[in-house]
This record gives sequence, C-alpha cells and structure tokens, in this order.
Amino acid sequence: MPERRGLRVGQWIGLAATAVLLVGLLILPKFQSQYDLLTYTRFLVLALMAQGWNLIGGYTGYAAFGNVAFFGLGAYTTGLLMLSKLQVPFFPALFCGALLAGLIAALIGLPVLRLKGHYFAIATLGVAEAFRQIADTWDSVTQGSTGIDLPVRTEGEFFYYSALAFVVLGVLVTIALRRSKIGYAWVAIRGDQDAARMLGINTTAMKVLAFAFSAMFAAIAGGLTAYQNIHVTPGDFFKIEYTLQMIIATIIGGTGTILGPVLGAGVYQLLSNYVWTRFLELHPTVLGLIIILFIIFLPRGLMPVLTGSIEVARGRRRFRLQALLANVRAHRVT
Amino acid sequence: MNPTEFGQIAVNAVLLSGILALVALGFSLVWGIMNIVNLSHGAFVVLGAYLTFFLHELVGLDPFVTIPIVMFALFLLGFGVQQVLINQVIRAPLLATFLLTFGLEILIVNLVNYFFKADLRSVTTRYTGTGMSLGPLRIPYIRLAALGISLLLVAVTAAFLKSTRQGRAIRATGMDIDAARLTGVKVAQIYALTFAIGASLAGGAGSLLSMIVPFDPNLGETYTQRAFVICVLGGLGDVGNVILGAILYAFVDVFVGARLPEMSQAFTFGVLVLLLVLRPQGIAGKKLYA
Amino acid sequence: MRLVSRLAGLFVLGLGTAPLISQTAIAADTIVFGAAISVTGKTAKEGEYTRDGYQFAIDTINQQGGIKVGDKTYKAALKYYDDESKSERTAQLVEKLVNADKVQFLLGPYASAPTATAAPIAEKYKIPMVEANGSAESIFNKGYRYSFMVLSPAKLYLRGVLDLVKSLDPNAKTVAILGENEPFSKEVAGGAAEYAKQLGLEVVYHELYPSNTQDVSSLLTNVKAKNPHILLGAGHLQDSLLVVKQSKDLGVSPRAMGFSVGPSSPEFRANLKSDGDYIFGATQWTSALKYNGDDPWKTPQAYAQAFKAKYPAYGVIPYQVAESSAAVVVYQRAIEQAGTLDPAKVRDAIAALDMMTFYGRIKFDKRGVNVYKPMAIEQLQPDGNKYTVFPIDVAEKTAIYPMAPWDRRAKR
Repeated sequence: MPERRGLRVGQWIGLAATAVLLVGLLILPKFQSQYDLLTYTRFLVLALMAQGWNLIGGYTGYAAFGNVAFFGLGAYTTGLLMLSKLQVPFFPALFCGALLAGLIAALIGLPVLRLKGHYFAIATLGVAEAFRQIADTWDSVTQGSTGIDLPVRTEGEFFYYSALAFVVLGVLVTIALRRSKIGYAWVAIRGDQDAARMLGINTTAMKVLAFAFSAMFAAIAGGLTAYQNIHVTPGDFFKIEYTLQMIIATIIGGTGTILGPVLGAGVYQLLSNYVWTRFLELHPTVLGLIIILFIIFLPRGLMPVLTGSIEVARGRRRFRLQALLANVRAHRVT
Repeated sequence: MNPTEFGQIAVNAVLLSGILALVALGFSLVWGIMNIVNLSHGAFVVLGAYLTFFLHELVGLDPFVTIPIVMFALFLLGFGVQQVLINQVIRAPLLATFLLTFGLEILIVNLVNYFFKADLRSVTTRYTGTGMSLGPLRIPYIRLAALGISLLLVAVTAAFLKSTRQGRAIRATGMDIDAARLTGVKVAQIYALTFAIGASLAGGAGSLLSMIVPFDPNLGETYTQRAFVICVLGGLGDVGNVILGAILYAFVDVFVGARLPEMSQAFTFGVLVLLLVLRPQGIAGKKLYA
Repeated sequence: MRLVSRLAGLFVLGLGTAPLISQTAIAADTIVFGAAISVTGKTAKEGEYTRDGYQFAIDTINQQGGIKVGDKTYKAALKYYDDESKSERTAQLVEKLVNADKVQFLLGPYASAPTATAAPIAEKYKIPMVEANGSAESIFNKGYRYSFMVLSPAKLYLRGVLDLVKSLDPNAKTVAILGENEPFSKEVAGGAAEYAKQLGLEVVYHELYPSNTQDVSSLLTNVKAKNPHILLGAGHLQDSLLVVKQSKDLGVSPRAMGFSVGPSSPEFRANLKSDGDYIFGATQWTSALKYNGDDPWKTPQAYAQAFKAKYPAYGVIPYQVAESSAAVVVYQRAIEQAGTLDPAKVRDAIAALDMMTFYGRIKFDKRGVNVYKPMAIEQLQPDGNKYTVFPIDVAEKTAIYPMAPWDRRAKR
C-alpha cells in the first residue's frame, strides 16, 4: 500500500537527518569562535528549558508561567553546593539541584495544579516572584541581592557539550514519556480532564509529574547557566524573561511535539541574535512584534508548517495561501 | 504601633486604594466580559502618564485638565488594538490571548522607551506636595484629589454599565455571548468598546500617577500585577467587588510595606496563591459581570 | 520525525551562517578598550556620562600623542556596546568584546550590579578591568585579581553628611536610614549606620526597600514617628526623588536630608525644582575641589573647562564623567610603566600604582579598591545652585543648616 511505503521511506529519511544534525552539532565547536559557541550554548540551554515546559504546557495543557522559579532554584542550589565546605563538583551539584526542584515543584504543584487556565498561570507567576524575593532577602544563605560567584571555568566547549548532552537526553526522555502511559495520560488530561479521570487516570499524580519534570529540566538549565555566567543574582536568575523565552520557543516550534521545543529554541535564538545585531535599540520591540505575529498567524508553531510543506513537496497537497489565514479565521471573533 | 502611625498608614491606604480601584476596574472589565487577562494593561497606564507629562510640559496644561484628553486618546487606541489585534485570536486557546497581550506590552513599553528614553519624569506643579493636616495625620491634596477623581470615574463607569444601552449590551455579551448575538449585538464592536473603556480607565490612572510618583516606561508592570491580585481578591462580579478588592489590597500592601518592606511582594504573592487555591472566585464570589 | 528533522537540522546549521560577528577595523597601532555601558534603560543618563568620560579621556590622550609602550606610541580607542541597564546583558557583551572584538583591556560598566557581573568574566579571560562606576566592595571580596575600582567604595558615601552635621550641630543625635535592597545601596546604608555609631549618633530606623519601589510612604510614616534629626537615603536617582516627594507629602522634615545618589545629577533639581533645596548629596568629585595631579589636566577646574569645551551641552560636570576619565588615565600610566601590552604585566602595574590626579589620589589596596580617596558632599541651595560643602577645607560654600521644614518654605 502506497501510504505505508511512504512512511517507511520517511522514517529512514528522518533518522538519517537526525544523524546528520547530531554530527553537525558535535563538530560545531571546531568551526566557531568562543563567542559564537556561547550563542549555540544559549540555544541549547533554551532548548532544554523549552523541552521541560513542553511537558506541562504542551502535552498536559497547563500553561505554567513561572518555571523560571526552578531555573533560579537550580542555579542557586548548584552554586551554593559548589561553594560550600563540601565543594561539591559540578555535575553532582547539578543533579541535586534538579532533584530539589522536582521535589519542590511536586509540593507546590499539589495545591496549585487544582487551578485552571488564567488562575494557574498567574499562581505560578506568583510563585516565581515569591522565589525571587526570598532569594533577595534570605541574605544568610543566598547573599541576597549581592549574589554569589561560582568557581571560574573558561572552556566554552565544556558548557556546549554538557548542554548538548542534556538536550539529547531531553529528547530521549520526552520520547520515552510520550510513548508511555504517562504521556497518554497527559494528552488525555489536555483533551478532557474529567473524562480522563473517569477513565481511571490519576490526574493529580500525572499533572504533578509533568510539573516536576518541567522543573527538573529548568533546574538543569539554571545550573548550567549559573556555572557559565559565574555571577548569580536573584534579579538575573528569576526574571520573567526566561519563562517567556521557553514558552515562545515551544510555541514557535510547536507545543506537544517532540522536536518542536528544540526547533523553536533554534529559531528564537536565530531571530533574537539577528534582531540584536541589526536593531539593538529596538530589540525587545521587535521581539514583541514577533510574538504577536506568531500568535495570530501560527499559533500551533512551525511544526505543522513544516509537515504541511512536506506534504506539498510530495505532491499530496496543494499549496494554499489561505492556509496561513486559516488560523485567523478559525479564531477570530465573529 | 502607636495610634498616630496606625492612623497615617490607614490614611495612606485609603488614598492608594482609589487609584488601584481605577486600574483594577478596567482590567476586571476586560477579564470579566472577554475572559482576557490583559497583560498590557500596565502599558496603557504608562501611556497615560507620558501623555499627561508631555501635555503639561509642552502645552502648559494643568495635569488635571489633561485627564479627559488622555482618556479619550487611550479610548481610541484601545478600540483600535482590540479590533485589529485581539479580536483575531479571541476564540483561540487561553494561552494565545495571554501571550498576545504580553507581546503587546513589550511592544508598547519598549516603543515608549525608544522614543522618550528611560529618563525619570514627574509632573510637578505649584501645588505638588501641599496637603492638609488632620491633627497629627497628613493628607496630601493631590492624592486626595486622585482619590476623588478615581471614585468619580468608577461611579460613572458603573452607571454606564447599568443604565445605557451599550453598557447593558456589554454585560449581556459577558453573560451569554450567543444570546447576545441573537438579539443583534455586534460582538466584535462590543469587545472593542469594552477594551477601549479598560484602556481609557488605565490611562486616567496613569495621568493621576504622573503627579504622584516619578515614573519611567516601567511604571506599568506592577500595576498589572496588582490589578490581577485585586480582581482575584474581589472577584469579577461587579464594580463594588473591585472597590472592595482594591481597599483590601491597599491595606495589606501598606501595612506589610510598613513592617516588612523587603518581603512585601513575596507576601502579596503568597496570599494570592493561597487565595487562588482556597477560593478562586474571590471574596465576594461571582465570576461574571451580571 | 521524517523530513521534519532534516529541515530542523538545516535550520540549526543555518545558525552558523548567520552574521553574528561585527568586524571592527582595528588599526595596527591602536589599543582598544572595551566596555558595556548602559546608554539606554534605567541608568541611561549615567551611562552616557560614563561613555563621555571614557571617550573624552581617550581623545585627549590621543591628542597629546597617545600611549607610550616601550619606544612605540599607540593610539587609544573605545569600543562599547549598550547593555540597556540590564546586568545579564553586560555579561554577554563583555564576552563579545573579549572573544569576538578582541579588545585588549576592559573598562567598567555603570553601577555595581553590572560590574559584579563583568568582574568574573574579566577574571575568566585574565584581562584587566578598571572600573569607575561600581562602588560595591562585595565585588572585590571574592579574590578577583584583574578588577580595579577607581572610585571610593560605597561605605564611605554618606560619611560626609554625618561629619558635616556633627560639626555644625553638636546636638544632632538621631539618624534614620532608608536603603534600596541591592548591593551598592546596602553597603552605603550599612557604612552610614556604622559610622553614625562611631560618631556617637543613634540610628533610630534602618530599613531596606525593594528596588523599583513606587511607594515608600509606609517607611516614611515610620520615620516621621521617630522624628530623626538626620534622614539618609541610600538608593538611586529614582528612589531619592521618591523619598523627597513623599517626605513632603507626609510632612517629614528632619534637620538634614542626604542621599548617596541623586542630588549630584541635574535631573534631581529638574524634577524637584525648589523642593530640592537644602538637600545634601554625596559625590565622588566636583570641579570645585583643590586637587593637583599628574595627568593630562592636573586640576579639577582645568578638567571641567576642557570637558565643557568638547561637550558644551553639559552644565555642571557630573562626577561619573570625571571618574570614567580617571580610569583611562590609570591605564595610560600603568601601560607606560609596564612597557608592554601583556595583560598580566599591565595588571601588575595597575596594582602597584600610587598617583595623584585631577580626580584625587588613586592607589589600590590588596583587593583592588581605592580606599585612599575621600568622598565629597554637595548641597542644593535655595539660590538654585549646587555647592561643594564638604570636605570643609576644600569647600566652596558653607552648608545651610538646618533644612527649612516643608510647611514653612516660601513658595518659589
């Protein structure tokens, strides 16, 4: 049957492409300056955060607006452990940060995940703000607004490869989760939570799990950034910009898809850099504009566009400009 | 805390609640009728402040006189924004409007930053800082006037919603959009009208604020946050709830500010989260504008 | 997955071709100084002062021949980026300057928080950074060897106000201190509290408020209840303005009011008009001081004149301009003494410096902090001008004390 043959060919192409991509990313550092490597590392860290957000916001449908809380938590935990008397090495400290974030997310998630929609979003926003203020005022532990300085480490390649490893891990974890009962439960919750509950799914546990996982991804991203930037302050590591970046990246790439977050992170980083070099003063303005345009015209992200263009390329569908406007027509008020 | 301190703090809280009620009213209207949490609400406050500042500096108008002008201008802007942008995504999932208004906020605030720079501005007049003394308590005149004007605007809005045809159409659309459409209401226009009113009220608040605090393009952020908390506190039911929420919030904010200024935000958000978890429909309890 | 992955891969590889590096045509005989400065955003004004200070010094040095390295003379150049007053931008930009633009030396950003972000990066790449606008000592308690602070540290800022009041009014006993909760202001407030106790004054109130606060009326209400003789504010321009405005609103009239940052900026007077009268402000430098140094200008007056000639838009010269120029002067001297552009050797030369300049004495302690220059105090007076009133031996006018209470002032 023609359908099935197409898929098999497609899968081979997909695997080959991923392999090429991976090799490309692996040898990248040899051809880039330290500064450009920084940009790639930032893209990878953003991809990591987006992957985590995708689990709670994409698959489960709960738009968390405060994941930077766990980013900062990871940063501080990693940093403080490394600076403590035990002088914990980086990776163990990082994992501790992730575990702690997951735990705290679970604890906070239990009450907060009972809320829906706007209320949930703002509650999580509140959590992030509260974390920031706690870090700001708990001088005895976090040094307050003065911040802490992690040990200095120079090789950009170290950060790049660590981030890359985690992103690849993230993809694998996402695939594993998506294919498991947990993943199906998430999608069921997003579709119709009451029905899911009636089918016997423990929605509370599943939601909390998604939230905890997203927290762990964010915490690892935070720890990496902390080590790379060296100087950690509450204002810098609990700012809402990080939450927004991970949400926008996921939206651009496609929520509820496996590679969407990574793709979106790449596109976002590309756009951000381009805008930064060309329109430095208007940088945030242009980003705001981009957000608006994406939300209106491409709310499901680029993945459907890519899939759609493949269909067009293979002659299975005709290209229609109206497709772009379809989103608008579907969602506008009448 | 001695009685004088308590008294002054109470006075401060009451005076603050006026402007907060004004900001929160516009926000709650948009939320209650259109189910949109407008993250760009604060940006309209900023626009109002800058407009008053420039009218005062360049044309020499008394800031109080600029208020109707500012409100009208922002009414038009709000109407346009809703018609052109937000109406396109109204029926999309919640996150869409959330992020759209967020993108709008970034856009507006940064444009203001680009054109007017981040220099601090304040509107200073001959009567800035004057006030009256009630015994040991001090009541600055401008803040008192701001309270009066805020309450006036709130009352006018309430009357508009209750008694005029357009006002009733707005409430009807909020209650049952299909029924409203069946009776001939043009939903898109009503939405635009609602958003315009919200923006206008925000602008008015901005004008008042420009006389009270030194401001820059980032003035609006905290006001959006506070508007949200107030709406959750008071519930979205009606204008009275908003005032109730504003007073409650003002008192908590001022008292916590007096005792634990560094923790004020954490405290506020802690209360917010607690409230949301325990009683999301707010203290008064209704969810729609009815 | 399918072809989607391939396209995703192309997208990502495409990043590599994106034009990211900005090429600067660096002439062979130029020493490039890099800096991330906030020319837009919250501290835009002060950022402009900083940039102008750096540029002016570099231009003057070039006019006088340049910087001598051994028997070769180099021109100096400034390469800077706007960090939008955001400290994480600062870090990013400093990385760019070092890695992509390959600057040889670093000059500091404006304010302590960005400087704290930049210092570890200078340390990472072992390139000296002489900073002129970040006075929080906490930056220098981490053992960084490549950063140097030209200005007086935070804890010294408000001492002059206390000394001044004590000398004019031995009966002044109580002090209230308000501070912004960020590194620099915390140190200013803490330093003031400590010094007050040393002078035998009683600190009746000492509270921090969150950055970007819009309302300090609760704190001022508390302050009013304590009725202090001296009110000190440790924040930035915005909060200082807020404290004055709300003090007037609430009728808080101490005998003296002083701020660490604010009064020395023209914006302070512009925003407050006559409400700014009698207020003291700490300053690192004024053109009225009587230093005589070994640098291109020698005295503060000469510096002010030369600067005004080049930048006529300026009224009074803010201290940020002077201290930024001083940083460049430090490099000139250190490089000439080291005789080489090798960063490590220049760093050592900076550490060994001890020079008198138009800005005051510049010498760094073991941590890199210039504890050898005192802070001055200015006062805004009812004639509309600002005068240096402390240290008394180099003051241009006597301070007016006490401050006229708000309700008893003539309307202007």
